[in-house]
Amino acid sequence: MRLDCPICGSRDRREFYYQGDAVMLARPAVDAGADAWDRYLHLRDNPAGQTRDLWHHEAGCGAWLVVTRDTVTHAVSAVELASDVKGAMA
Amino acid sequence: MRFSGLRVLREGLTGNKGWAPHWRDAEPKAEYDAIIIGGGGHGLSTAYYLAKEHGLTNIAVLEKGYLGGGNVGRNTTIVRANYFLQGNSEFYSHSLKLWEGLEEDLNYNVMHSQRGLINLFHSDGQRDAFARRGNSMINQGDDAVLLDREGVRKYLPYLDFDNVRFPIYGGLLHPRGGTARHDAVAWGYARGASDRGVDLIQQCEVTGIDIENGQVRGVQTTRGAIRAKKVGIVVAGRSGQVAAMAGMRLPIESHVLQAFVTEGLKPCIDHVVSFGMGHFYISQSDKGGLVFGGDLDFYASYASRGNLPMAEHVMEAGMTLMPMIGKAKVLRSWGGIMDMTPDGSPIIDQTDTKGLFIDCGWCYGGFKAVPGSGFSFAHLMATGNHHAPAAKFRLDRFRTGVGLMDEEGTGSQHNLH
Amino acid sequence: MAELKARTACEDALPCEIGATQLVELDLGPITSVMVWGSEQDVSAAMKTAHGVSFPKPNRSNGTDATRCVWFGRNQAVLIGVAPDASLGEHAAVVDQSDAWSAVSLSGGTAEDALARLVPVDLRRAQFKRGHTVRTQVGHMMTSVTRTGPDSFMILVFRSMAVTLIHELKQAMQSVAARRA
Repeated sequence: MRLDCPICGSRDRREFYYQGDAVMLARPAVDAGADAWDRYLHLRDNPAGQTRDLWHHEAGCGAWLVVTRDTVTHAVSAVELASDVKGAMA
Repeated sequence: MRFSGLRVLREGLTGNKGWAPHWRDAEPKAEYDAIIIGGGGHGLSTAYYLAKEHGLTNIAVLEKGYLGGGNVGRNTTIVRANYFLQGNSEFYSHSLKLWEGLEEDLNYNVMHSQRGLINLFHSDGQRDAFARRGNSMINQGDDAVLLDREGVRKYLPYLDFDNVRFPIYGGLLHPRGGTARHDAVAWGYARGASDRGVDLIQQCEVTGIDIENGQVRGVQTTRGAIRAKKVGIVVAGRSGQVAAMAGMRLPIESHVLQAFVTEGLKPCIDHVVSFGMGHFYISQSDKGGLVFGGDLDFYASYASRGNLPMAEHVMEAGMTLMPMIGKAKVLRSWGGIMDMTPDGSPIIDQTDTKGLFIDCGWCYGGFKAVPGSGFSFAHLMATGNHHAPAAKFRLDRFRTGVGLMDEEGTGSQHNLH
Repeated sequence: MAELKARTACEDALPCEIGATQLVELDLGPITSVMVWGSEQDVSAAMKTAHGVSFPKPNRSNGTDATRCVWFGRNQAVLIGVAPDASLGEHAAVVDQSDAWSAVSLSGGTAEDALARLVPVDLRRAQFKRGHTVRTQVGHMMTSVTRTGPDSFMILVFRSMAVTLIHELKQAMQSVAARRA
């Protein structure tokens, strides 16, 4: 699997660290309660199909990325900078 | 049909014409007392113990493919009870005891081989950690022996003892650990359940779970609707999808774990051995193939195939530990889909829906748990009470933060196990 | 007080030549990390004024062997060969990392082939020209690789990994040489 880093270009999977579901970008408020934090920290849709997850270009430029890909075929359809995605959420 | 030495001899002399199928291929009925979704190791053992221990025989196991076609048919077959934390220790200890009586219980040769498992350590700190683990195993009533470097050399003279980067300081020997024939475990439980009246229904995919007023009523399948007041979900690898049919989200991510097997060789590795400085564990099957595996590929995947960097890493680790295997040719590799929980420990619990139970989250260690998981899940489904050795495998431990079992000590977070 | 003798990271192991490839240690002088917090243009202008090199685009390096600025990550570069001018500090976090890195030069006709065995990026000349740089891995180590000439590369790893780097490179050089023989 290769990821197309918006900064470095197409790179081998081994340069990247996998963090998990991109739900991690939407951090709840400190006082949001146990259920909200449970949804954020633990509960996952875990789809067999298209998913969005966070990757870190650890051995490359160091950017955090939001990757849209298929968990069954491993096809990658989009790679965005997490800072852009987060900015658009604000 | 009972297996015995005499029977084998008689069949051998009479052309093996007397063998019958090991289980009935049942047609689904309209209603059962209980339904198990998933005909893998855990589902079949649950059905077996429901019938044997609790007298529940009007039950069905629904399998979308064929029995034992998932992870129970593809794993590195290691059976051990060397856990450290309370909650895990008593469960795996109970499971190992069931293993030890399994062949007689099932009248089936599952080729359980207690050849001993050795976890190597490579530093003073690791020695301390393994000594502590060993003490914890002994406290649980299981066995553990701390070997020093020379002790390890007596058991495993073929290791690279000259490696200066990852020097072998010793190993924790778990004499009762070993392996079993994975398929036979599924077949043995299937046969045992079928003989007691359980319907094993293959090619029957569950497409929906019927719930009315918070009570489960049955399931929709590709072979029609089936009613039942109790439904157990035992579909590790696909737990998220099946739970979603009941409107649930689980604390689970699916990851791929690879394993490899070489061509058949003469006996050379007599134990189960794990490397403490790279993720690598190995044993030799009775057929002679070296069976080994490593760590997860580390990204959510349902692809059932592994990635090359991890395959390379596993080979590197193997060559670092025991260079003698370098000439062996790898015949096959495969990737199984693992239910990964945030703390790396499983879930056996009821859900918020009355009558709906779930057994999932076995991470990369489900095979050795097959007997214990089935026994404890059957107990829960039949009685409504948690079985003591599995009482800590609660679904709500993540939400509450109470009773997390982070065996690796890395933190209760999805990407850390 | 005892006189401590300064030693370089690769002193005991280099230089070496295997087949058509040479591996030598580089003394780069000061290595300074420049992490932009303001505008990259301002940093670039200040650097151009003070040191004659501008802040590089991703995957590129500017300058010569004497003074070089190598892209090092997102909003980050290293200035090599000169002590940083104080003006850089107005737009960027400027940190001396001279002793943190070990640098080697791999050169010769088969240098590309040796690196191809260790680095998961295409470093052939058609793709990776003089002045191009990547942050990637060499073996399992994080690295910065820059093409400094038609057949030569500058490779940086953490100083603590210098000997492992040499070990890996030597093995790759030997394997390539054996194939050629």
